[in-house]
Amino acid sequence: MSGYKYIGKSTVRVDGKVKISGAAQYIDDLEFGPGLLFAEIVESPHAYARIKKIDCSKALKVEGVVKIVTGKEFPYRFGLYMHDRYIFAQDHVRFVGEQVGAVIARTPEIAKRASKLVRVDYEVLEPVLDVVTALLDNAPLIHPELGKYQHVPWFFPEKNTNIAHFRKVRKGNMNEGFKEADYIFEDTYTVPRYAHCSIETHGAVGLFDHSRRLTVWAASQSPHTQRHLFAEALAPLGIKHKDVRVIAPHVGGGFGGKAGVSMEILAASLATAVQGSPVKVLWSRAQEFYNTYQRQGVVAKMRFGVKNDGTITALEQKLYWDAGAYVEYGANVVNAAGLSATGPYRIPNVYIDSVCVYTNLPPGGPYRGFGYSEFLFGLESHMNEIAKKLKLDPVDFRRKNAICEGDTLNYGGKMNPSGLLECIDKVAKEIEWGKKRVSKDPRKAIGKGFALFWKAPAMPPNAASSAFLKFNEDASLNILVSAMEIGQGFLTVMAQIAGEVLGIPPEKIRVETPDTDRNPYEWQTVASHITWSTGNAVKKAAMDAREQIFDIASRALGKDRNSFYLEDETLKSRTEPEFALSLKNFVINGIMMKDGTFRGGPIIGRGMFMPEFASAISDPQTSQGGKPNVHYTVGASAIEIEIDRETGKITIPKVVLGVDCGKVLNPDLLRGQVTGGMLQGLATVLYEEMRFDSKGKLLNANFTDYKIPTAMDVPDEIVSIFVEHEQPDGPFGARGVGEHTMIPAAPIIANAIEDALGIRIKSMPITAEKIALALKGLDLPQASRAEPPVCFQKTST
Amino acid sequence: MSITNDFEYVKPKSLAETLKILVKNKNAMVLAGGTDLVGSLKERTVAPDLVIDIKGLKELKKIEKKGGAIHIGALVTFSELIESKLVGKRMPVLVEISKKVASVGIRNRATFIGNICSAVPCLDSGPVLVAMGGFVHVKSRLRTRKIPAEKWFIHARKTARKPGELVIGASIPLPREKNGACYIKLGRYQGEDLAQASVFVHLSLKNKIPLYQIAFGSVAPVPRRAHRIEKALNGRKLNHELVTEARNLVASVVTPITDIRATREYRLLMCEVMLERALLAAQERLNGRGPAYGVNLI
Repeated sequence: MSGYKYIGKSTVRVDGKVKISGAAQYIDDLEFGPGLLFAEIVESPHAYARIKKIDCSKALKVEGVVKIVTGKEFPYRFGLYMHDRYIFAQDHVRFVGEQVGAVIARTPEIAKRASKLVRVDYEVLEPVLDVVTALLDNAPLIHPELGKYQHVPWFFPEKNTNIAHFRKVRKGNMNEGFKEADYIFEDTYTVPRYAHCSIETHGAVGLFDHSRRLTVWAASQSPHTQRHLFAEALAPLGIKHKDVRVIAPHVGGGFGGKAGVSMEILAASLATAVQGSPVKVLWSRAQEFYNTYQRQGVVAKMRFGVKNDGTITALEQKLYWDAGAYVEYGANVVNAAGLSATGPYRIPNVYIDSVCVYTNLPPGGPYRGFGYSEFLFGLESHMNEIAKKLKLDPVDFRRKNAICEGDTLNYGGKMNPSGLLECIDKVAKEIEWGKKRVSKDPRKAIGKGFALFWKAPAMPPNAASSAFLKFNEDASLNILVSAMEIGQGFLTVMAQIAGEVLGIPPEKIRVETPDTDRNPYEWQTVASHITWSTGNAVKKAAMDAREQIFDIASRALGKDRNSFYLEDETLKSRTEPEFALSLKNFVINGIMMKDGTFRGGPIIGRGMFMPEFASAISDPQTSQGGKPNVHYTVGASAIEIEIDRETGKITIPKVVLGVDCGKVLNPDLLRGQVTGGMLQGLATVLYEEMRFDSKGKLLNANFTDYKIPTAMDVPDEIVSIFVEHEQPDGPFGARGVGEHTMIPAAPIIANAIEDALGIRIKSMPITAEKIALALKGLDLPQASRAEPPVCFQKTST
Repeated sequence: MSITNDFEYVKPKSLAETLKILVKNKNAMVLAGGTDLVGSLKERTVAPDLVIDIKGLKELKKIEKKGGAIHIGALVTFSELIESKLVGKRMPVLVEISKKVASVGIRNRATFIGNICSAVPCLDSGPVLVAMGGFVHVKSRLRTRKIPAEKWFIHARKTARKPGELVIGASIPLPREKNGACYIKLGRYQGEDLAQASVFVHLSLKNKIPLYQIAFGSVAPVPRRAHRIEKALNGRKLNHELVTEARNLVASVVTPITDIRATREYRLLMCEVMLERALLAAQERLNGRGPAYGVNLI
C-alpha cells in the first residue's frame, strides 16, 4: 500500500539480541575497579522539620568511611523547569526520606552501617499532607522563598502561598456557555499518587577526575538534560558543560521516572567530594518508591453545561494537584494537564484552573501519561454520568462532541489531522457496543466501558533532537542519537527510518544508547515525542548522507544527480536502468577517477529537528495565543469486564484500544506498547495506590503492599486498532503514541463497573474491596478524601 | 540491599550437633529455606550472632505417613509438598494450600515449617494445621515435645518454641473416611500475595455423620479455629440454611483488623463469602465432584 520497504514493517528489535543474551549492561553491571566507593544516604524521618544540628563524629570513626557530606558542602538549588530543589536538605527537610547527607565508604555495608550513626537533631514541624490544608489561608509555607525561585516563563507561582504554579485556561465565555445549557452536571473525582515501578531501580556512578572532568554513568531517560542540570548546579565549582559527560547504559524501565534529574545529582555532586574515585549511589526498592518522582495525586472538580440534544456548551474544570515537596518537574505536569483538561472534545466555552500545590509528600513528577490519565479518569467517568442522565448512548454522546481536525483547541490553535471518529467507530464495533452479555455464573455481572483519550507531548517549545549517521566500509551504518531505549523500541524504529531513506536493511544499522561526549544533543526521552522528533532528525541525517552520496557520484561519474536513487545498498539511476554502484564501494573510500585520484570520502550525515512553530508564550490569564502543543494523538478504548458480585473481583475477557498515531512505523512494537500501557493503566485503577500515614510516611514502599500486575493479571484478549491520518510534520507521517496506551484504562474500568452494577466510584483505585463494600452500602474509610475548600462560583483573579 | 550486620555461620552435619550449638547460643537463628530470614536480616529486623544452617540434616527433608498422620520434615519445601505423591493422594488440600504460597521461586526454597515458625498472622500453613488438630514436633538436647497446633501459635510472630529447641517437623492426622477439603485465600490480585483473609474447611463422614473442621487465617493474630461454627454444623448435612447459619457465626469467631491490606469490614464480609464457597467445594469434593484441588474459587 505504502510502497515502503522498511517503514510499517515489524522489523525485529535491534536491541533484542543484546538483551536476551545477557550482554546488555545496566548501571549496576558496570565495573569500576577496586577504587569504587559507595554512598549511603542519611534520610529525613520527618515530613517537615528544621535541621538543628548534624553530628557525624561517630560515623566518621567507622573504619572504611571515606567522607561524610551534608547540605553544608552543596548549598545549591537546581531543577528542570523551576529551581526549587536542593542537592541535600539545607535548613529544612520537606518529605520523609529526603536526603540530609551521605556517607561515602569503601563498601555498601560500611556506608550503610555508618549512615545509621549520623545523628541529626530536628525541630519537628507540623507537615502539610494534602492540598486542602496547603491551600488554607493560614497554612504553613513550605517554600517561603518561592517568589525568588528561577523558573520558565510559562509558570505562574503565587508567592507567600503554597501554589507553585497556577495554569488558567479561559476560552469563550463560561457564563454564557452555562446559560445556553439545558443541564449542568457537577461532580468531584480524586486520584491518589502512583509509582513507576521500573524493574531496575535508579542508580548512578560519578567520577570527578584529577583534571576536574566529571563523568556520570546513570540509568537515565535524559542524558543531555542531566548533563545540563549537573553543569548548572555545580557551576560554582567552576565546572563547564564541556567538562561534564553523561554515559547512559541500558535502562530497565523508565515510564518518566528516570527523566529530568532526581537522585542522579547525588552521584554527580558526591564525586566532586572524593576527587579521583568513582562513587556509586544505587537506590533500594524502598528508595525507588519514596525518593524519586511520584505521579501526583489530584482532586478534580468539574461542571459541564449540556443541551438536551447532548451538545456540550461549557466546561469548568478545577484541578488541584498534590505536587509534593519540590515541583521543579511536576509543575509542568500541572501545566500540560491544564491546557488539555477538556479531553478530546469540542467545547466552545472553557474555564480551567490547574493548580500546582506544594505538600510535605515526596516530589511529584513525570509519569507516563503526564497528567492526562489523572484528569481523564474524572472527565470520562463524568461523561458517562451525563449521558446516562440525558438518556443518551455514551458512545453517541462522545462522538457528537468529539474534536475534529481544524476545531479550535483550548489555547486557540487548530486541531491537527485526527481519526478520532474512525477510532470510536472501530473500537465500538470490536467490543460489540450495545450488545449485552449475561454470565452463566449468577454471581457474576458483566459490563462494558468506553472512553476517549488524547495527549500532546509536554515539552519546551524548543525541545530539540539531533542525529549523526556514519557509514562504514561495508555500507553498514552507525547512528548516533541521544534518546534512550526504554523498552518502546526507539532504536529499532530509528534504524527503520534511516534504512528507508538510504536503502539499507535495518539489520545493517547499529543504534545504541548514548554518551553525551560522542552523541549529539537530545532534550529528553519523554512526552511520547522521540519517534516523532528524533525520527525527524534521523530522517534528515539520512537525507543529508543521501545528498552527499548523490553529490560525490555525480561529481565523479558526471551523471545527473537528479536521476539517482538508493535501493538495496546500491546507487541506481532512473534514466540508466543498467547503472548500479554498490554503496560499499565508495561510502568510505570514495570513487576512483581515471588518473587514480579519488572523489568523496567518509559519508557522515547530520540531522537536527526543532519544532520552530511552537511557542509557550500566551496570556497568563487565559492561555490564549502561543502554540504550546505540537500535536495531539487521539483515540478510543473499550473494555468488557466480569465482576464477582460478592467479592468485587474483576476479570477482563477483552479490552480494545484504537489510536491514530499518524503512521504505524512498526506494528509489532506498537502492539507491545498497547499491551504494556494498558496493563500499567489497568493496575492503577484496579489495585495500585501509594498510601501514607498521618505523618507523611509512605506505608507501602515495597511490592508486598504496592501491587503491580503479574502475567496472571493480563486480560484474556487485548485488541489493538491502528488508524492512520498522517501527521504532516512527522517522519513518514508518524506522531507520538507511547504514553497514550495507558491513559484510558481507569475510566473504561470505572464505566464498565457502573454498567455492570449501577454504582459510580469516583476515587481511584477501584479495588475489589471498594466495589464489594459499595455494593453493601459501605464506604471505604480511606476512599473518602477531603475536597479543596474552593467555591465554584468564585472566579479567582 | 545488602546485609550489614555481622554474624557467624555454621552448617552442622547432624541433629545432635545442631541441638548442641543451639543450646549454647542464645542469640542464634535457624536457617532452612531462608526466604523470611534473609529478608529480615537485610531489613535489620533481626540481628543474630549466629546463623545455623540446617540444610545438611537430610533426615528433616522427608514427607512420611506415620501412625495415621502425614509427617512433614522441617526442610520440606512447598514445591516438594506440591510434587509429593503421598500428599497428592492422601491430602490433596495441602497441594492446594502450597500452590497459594507466594510464587514458584519462593516455593522452591520456602519450607512449611519455616512458615509456621515465622508465624505471621497471614501464614498459609496455619489454618490447616489448627483445623486438622495437627502437632508441631520440637526437639532440644534433653527432650522432645509434641505441641498441639492450637497451642503452638501464641501470638503474631510468637510461637511455643523455647530457647534451645529446634522444630523438626509437623504432623497432620490423616482423615480415615470419605472426606473433602478446601483452602481459599483472598489476595489483592491474581499474582502472589499475602492473604487478606483465608479459610480452610475439612469435611469428613464418620459413620455417615458429617464432621466439620474449619479455621481462618489473617483475621486474628494467630490462625483461628472456628470451634463455634464447627459445633453448630457437626452432625448436620450441608444445605442452604446451614451455610447461612455458618456465615452468621463468622463475626463471633474472627477478629480482623484494618491494615494496609484490607479493612476489617471487607475481611469480615469475605470470611463469610469464602466460608460458604469452601464449605460447598469441600462437600462437592467429598462426593467426588467439584472443582479440582488448586482451582481458584475466588
